[in-house]
Amino acid sequence: MRPALRIIAPVALLVGAAVVLAAQEKDGAGQPPKTAPAAKLAQAPAVADDDNSCIQCHATLTDEDQKRLLVTAQDLAADVHWQKGMRCQDCHGGDPTVLEIKAHQGKDDFKTVKSAADIPEFCGKCHADIGFMRHYKPSPRTDQLAEYWTSGHGRQLKEKGDLKVATCVSCHGKAHGSGADRAKHGILAVGDLDSPVYRTKLAKTCARCHADKELMAGREYHGRPLGHDQYAKWRDSVHGKALLDKGDLSAPTCNNCHGNHGAVPPQVDSVANACGTCHGKVAKLFEGTQMRHKFEKEGLPGCATCHNAHDIVHPTDDMLGMERGAVCLQCHAETERKAKGGTLAGAEDAAKLRKSLEQLKREIELADTTLSEAERLGMEVSSPRFELRKATDALTNARSLIHTFKVSTVETALGEGSKVVVEVQQRADAALQEHDNRRIWLAATLAPILLVIVILLAYIRRMPAPAE
Amino acid sequence: MSPAAHDAPPQDEKASSAVKRFLFERLGLESALALAAKKRVPVHRTTLFYFLGGMALFLFGIQLVTGILLSLYYKPSPDQAFESVRAIMTEIEYGWLFRSVHSWSANLLIGVLLLHILTTFMMRAYQRPREVTWITGVLLLFIFLAFGFSGYLLPWNKLAFCATGVGTEIAGTVPFVGSYVLLVARAGEHVTGDTLARFYSLHVVILPLAAFALLGVHLFLVQKHGMSVPRRVAEKHGGEKLVPSIPFVPHFLLRDMVGWYLALAILAALAALFPWELGEKADPFGPTPKGIKPEWYFLAMYQALKILPAQVGGLEWLPGKTVGVVFFGLCGLVVLAVPFLDVGAGRGGPRRILNFLAAVAVVFFIVMTAWGLTE
Repeated sequence: MRPALRIIAPVALLVGAAVVLAAQEKDGAGQPPKTAPAAKLAQAPAVADDDNSCIQCHATLTDEDQKRLLVTAQDLAADVHWQKGMRCQDCHGGDPTVLEIKAHQGKDDFKTVKSAADIPEFCGKCHADIGFMRHYKPSPRTDQLAEYWTSGHGRQLKEKGDLKVATCVSCHGKAHGSGADRAKHGILAVGDLDSPVYRTKLAKTCARCHADKELMAGREYHGRPLGHDQYAKWRDSVHGKALLDKGDLSAPTCNNCHGNHGAVPPQVDSVANACGTCHGKVAKLFEGTQMRHKFEKEGLPGCATCHNAHDIVHPTDDMLGMERGAVCLQCHAETERKAKGGTLAGAEDAAKLRKSLEQLKREIELADTTLSEAERLGMEVSSPRFELRKATDALTNARSLIHTFKVSTVETALGEGSKVVVEVQQRADAALQEHDNRRIWLAATLAPILLVIVILLAYIRRMPAPAE
Repeated sequence: MSPAAHDAPPQDEKASSAVKRFLFERLGLESALALAAKKRVPVHRTTLFYFLGGMALFLFGIQLVTGILLSLYYKPSPDQAFESVRAIMTEIEYGWLFRSVHSWSANLLIGVLLLHILTTFMMRAYQRPREVTWITGVLLLFIFLAFGFSGYLLPWNKLAFCATGVGTEIAGTVPFVGSYVLLVARAGEHVTGDTLARFYSLHVVILPLAAFALLGVHLFLVQKHGMSVPRRVAEKHGGEKLVPSIPFVPHFLLRDMVGWYLALAILAALAALFPWELGEKADPFGPTPKGIKPEWYFLAMYQALKILPAQVGGLEWLPGKTVGVVFFGLCGLVVLAVPFLDVGAGRGGPRRILNFLAAVAVVFFIVMTAWGLTE
């Protein structure tokens, strides 16, 4: 038997058996496609490229008008579906054993992707089918298709027929092509380091369209232009730096705030919830404030009002108060109050909060300096040094509590820190005092020792010469 | 008052002589007093060297007293060792003083011992019949080095933890028995709480017992053979016995005491002005701190082992560290065997090779230590 037949024969038998089984089950819901029972696929010998009539034709297309149908073996080799054992016919139908165009024509189930608009449903046939997907994972997600149709992309596609919006392959396909033309094969698993949706690559993937000035021109969401500078802003933000420069995989990228398949910009009343996904404590504090209601009333986007949306920088104390650079000025400055709804009382509170914060910082700094001086003198102050961390923790806590916008709450937290600092300062001062005391002790000790030495020397000098 | 009553000793004098008689009768103090009265110390140009032994003994006494005081509060477990030393330094009355004096005194003691051995070598005081005195002295030096190494770990700080790891690792490179030495020293494969317990036991039980035993023999032999006089001095005076001398008690002892008081003053000043630092608590899972160095007396060896190539002559079976350890081991043996290697000592012959080796060793020690300190 020829080597090719050795492979084709068992495959044909398997395929035949699968067809019979599938026919018996009448395409029951939740079943894998007829020719690809998932469990069987995983065990079935891979069809060599040479024996796959689909590849034999589609890998060699050279005519310009047929290039859109080109599928290379390299594309498939990297494809997660191909790796899991799925073959052309499992998605497209047809018969790969027939080495003619009849392979397409002779089958009723042959499916093509004629435009980008077909892609979500094409992928969703399996990915929205819990019965099928469960063969690969015990708890698979199957809501991607439903989510997609609620996304900015999906709605634009469905409602306006905009074929330039992102579909499944735009983000999950191998990194060539652009937008909807991105490779339709070579789909990588999300956890694959080369996947365009891997955490460190996702923002760049979104930016392929969203940083494209021409593509974004004229596009808007809820009446506001989409813009094209989000990636640049995010890249320089505290989040972008944490993820890409420090390699902190917990730092947020686009999908953490906008969603994955249901990606939309968070609305004014939901920004705090988006930020709160990670900044839970601060979001909860903000949720219970009057400020939140005021923001909503004024149409201000929650956290982003003070911290910005994409260009979020590391927060500093300079943001608080009524001095130059403080974000409170945006609404509470005398000139802005009327337009933004800020108040004089708010301005006074902001100034007071800043003052109290600075006071504790100064106290901590002084205690730290005193401890350093004691350490320099060789005194053991590791215990108060450790205690001082509690004051720094209290300062951090107070900074969080600023989001309550209540002076009394923040000052209570600062008071806790102050109490610790006072004690640490006392211990640091005591260490310095102890150092001085030791010098006095030394002088008091050396004096009698030296006196004894002098007496001894005098006695030795006056001793009679010893007999030889 | 009768003349008899007038001549009778007063009551308190009578009582003290009764106590004296009681003690002399039971403890045999007459022989000790006779020995003290008989013992004399030669006076010549290098008499100052005779003070080094007494100084070492005094510092050992300081170590004992401060060590006992520290042991009252020290807790030898990884969870409490660092905290207990910190408490000694911050909460226990004068704890800072005892710890600092203990640490400074240990360093001074090693320094004095090195000088003592060097001056003994220079005076050729190891020659017949004092060979065993020399050997016990060198062994005592090794014991005090072990005291220093084991005591270094006890505060359980980062530097000590890592230095002990490095030190025991070096011991582990000894050919054939290295791996066993490492296991025994660390009480396992790594430096852990078990190592701390082992080092504590070594520091407060095993080494003191060994030190007392050797010190006893050493002092007995010094007493038995008397102070050695350099041959040239003896010849100048027509014989060792004709060299001018002073009684040990009280003349030399009083001078000794001047040195001890001086040492006490130096220790007090060092402890008060430069308290021994505690550092940060050891973290077995933390990174090795930069620039870890052993105590100054191991620095020359450490530095030499550091600059040795990984493999000598590119030979895989000849690691540089092993060669270094074997070399230093041999050096130790040579120092022990000095009385037997100096074949011309008895007739006052020249000692060129040993002098050359000693000079090289001293220069090597100073240069490598200085290099290690400045690196």
